[in-house]
Order: sequence, then C-alpha cells, then structure tokens
Amino acid sequence: MRLSVAAAISHGRVYRRFGLSPRSRLDLLRNLVTALVRYERIETPWARADEMRGYAERLIDYAKRGDKDERAMRMADFWLTEKDLVHKLFKVLAPRFQPHPGSYTRLLQIPNRDGLDRAKMAVIELKGNPLPPLVRPRRDSDKTLLNQLLKGYRQDAQRAAAA
Amino acid sequence: LVLVRSPLPRLRALLQRCWGRLERGLWPSVFGGQSSPWGPALAVQGPTLIPQGINDAEAPSLLESVVWMAAPKQRRTIEVNRCRRRNPNKLIEIKRNIDVCPECGNLKQKHVLCGYCYAKVKEETRLIRMEIYKKEGGPFNTPTVETVVLYEGEKPTEKDKGKRIIERARKRPSWFVQN
Repeated sequence: MRLSVAAAISHGRVYRRFGLSPRSRLDLLRNLVTALVRYERIETPWARADEMRGYAERLIDYAKRGDKDERAMRMADFWLTEKDLVHKLFKVLAPRFQPHPGSYTRLLQIPNRDGLDRAKMAVIELKGNPLPPLVRPRRDSDKTLLNQLLKGYRQDAQRAAAA
Repeated sequence: LVLVRSPLPRLRALLQRCWGRLERGLWPSVFGGQSSPWGPALAVQGPTLIPQGINDAEAPSLLESVVWMAAPKQRRTIEVNRCRRRNPNKLIEIKRNIDVCPECGNLKQKHVLCGYCYAKVKEETRLIRMEIYKKEGGPFNTPTVETVVLYEGEKPTEKDKGKRIIERARKRPSWFVQN
C-alpha cells in the first residue's frame, strides 16, 4: 500500500513553476503585471503570459471595487511596484473596464523567438488600448454564397419599396 | 575435565595424542595412581598454530567474476536498418496548419500571428512609445487619463475629449483604423 506521494507526479497542479522559488515566481509575475499596466501590450514567453493573465484580470476586478476599498488598495500596492501606476489602475483602467464583466486581456501567440532557444512567445495586451491593433477583424468576402443571397434579397426589398 | 573442540584439525590431533598419553600413563597423573605423579618430565613447547589461509577463496576464478552483458549477435542488414530508420514514427511530421496571410501574403501558421504584420505593428508601437516618453519627460510620470494617437492632419473628435493626445508625424497607415 502506497503511503507517500511518488515524486514527479503533479496531477491537478494549476500553478506553473517559475524562477528560483515560489517567492521568486511571484516577483517575476509581479514585474510582468506592472509592465502590462504601464505599457498595455507586452511580449513575453507564452507560459509566463498565460500565468500572468489570471493575476492581471483579478487585479482589475479588485480595482473595479474602487480605491476607497482597503483590500483593493493593498492588492494594488503589492502587485504594482511602480506607484504611479496605482493611480492609472484606479482612474483609467477601472472605468475603462466597468461595462465588461470579465476577460480584459487578449493573449495571442507570435512566431518563436529568434534566439537560440526558439521559445514559444506571446503578446498580451489590455483591450481598449490606444496602440495599433494586432489583428484586423475580417469580414467575409462579398462573393460567398450566403452574402450573394443576402445581397439579392436586399435588392429585391429595395425594388419592392421603390415600386 | 574440559572438552576442547578446536576448529583446527592439527591442534585437535595433538590434543588427542596428549589425552591418549595421559590415559596410558606416560605422563604421571592422579588417574589410577600406578606411576608416581609429577615425575621428571620434559617441558616441550607445543607446536604453534600453523597459519592456514584465513580466506580460502582468494581470487574467484575468471568464469565466476565476469558480468554478463548483452551484445548483438549478427550485423543488422541494410534492409532491416532501412525499415527501422524510415518507419513513419521516425520521420519528421509534416505540418498541415500553414496558411497564407490575407493581408500581406506571407506564410503563417493558423494559430499564430503573421510575422511580417506583427513586425509592422511592433515598429509603429515603438515609435508611438518614443513619442509618449518625450511627452512625459521622465520616468514614472504616467498620466491618469486615457491616451489617443493622432496622425498628420487629424483633429481630436468628440470622443477624444479629456484624453492625452499623442502626435505622430506621418500619414495614418491603412491598417490602423481610427475609432
């Protein structure tokens, strides 16, 4: 009967391991969250961006409570190492995301890094940022069957209305 | 009387001989009392223990000490080698998720952003950030209002009221649509 956990089994663990220790992992993610709030779009390895995304969205949820809230202010104070970003978080990002119920960030994969490690990279950005868009939403071409049928229907309706 | 059980056969033989002599009365003893006890006798030093090999097994013979290891019996023929090397599970998988980017026409993977388009956007972002840095003047001067980027010949609209304006000295690129 196995009485102890075998090593190298990690079923159900949700947090990835980064850095030298759990504290170092939190510091790493904290730096990334600070950079995201400052620059609104950053390019990092995909695993770090994925891990950081949850923390960033929860931070914005805390910020939506308002800056009078004690817990929200303590969270922002811990997670943002540059203290002028605390003001930006409560006065710019919280009102921007007030109508949205969730998912304030967008995570997209980019081609692997050019260096020797060819790491899987991603770009993570806050929605509604002033920078140029990464992906242009494409509408279907006019030549598809459905669009041609709809165009014919619209023309028939106009002719009927004119006549 | 003490029974000595000696592990060494020579000592055991000696003791047996001594005991036999004792019983026959060669050496005077209290037994029987035929001859006078403690008569003149020669003190003989017994033979010392003859050292025999402590370890009988000094070196195991070669047949017992060698460890049996696996080795191929026959040369693998080139036909067998080819079958193994060219088995589909050893070949590189072909990727079927490569497409053409509709904007620029370069190749891209379906789930990854186009490298060329991303490089374009990255360069423009870098120039915008340089303008932002010039406007802010120094580090840690993030404003508490939203930002909007305007190109040459554009005026701030109704929606851009209360936002910080960042000017870029070029024509608006076609892929950056003004909201």
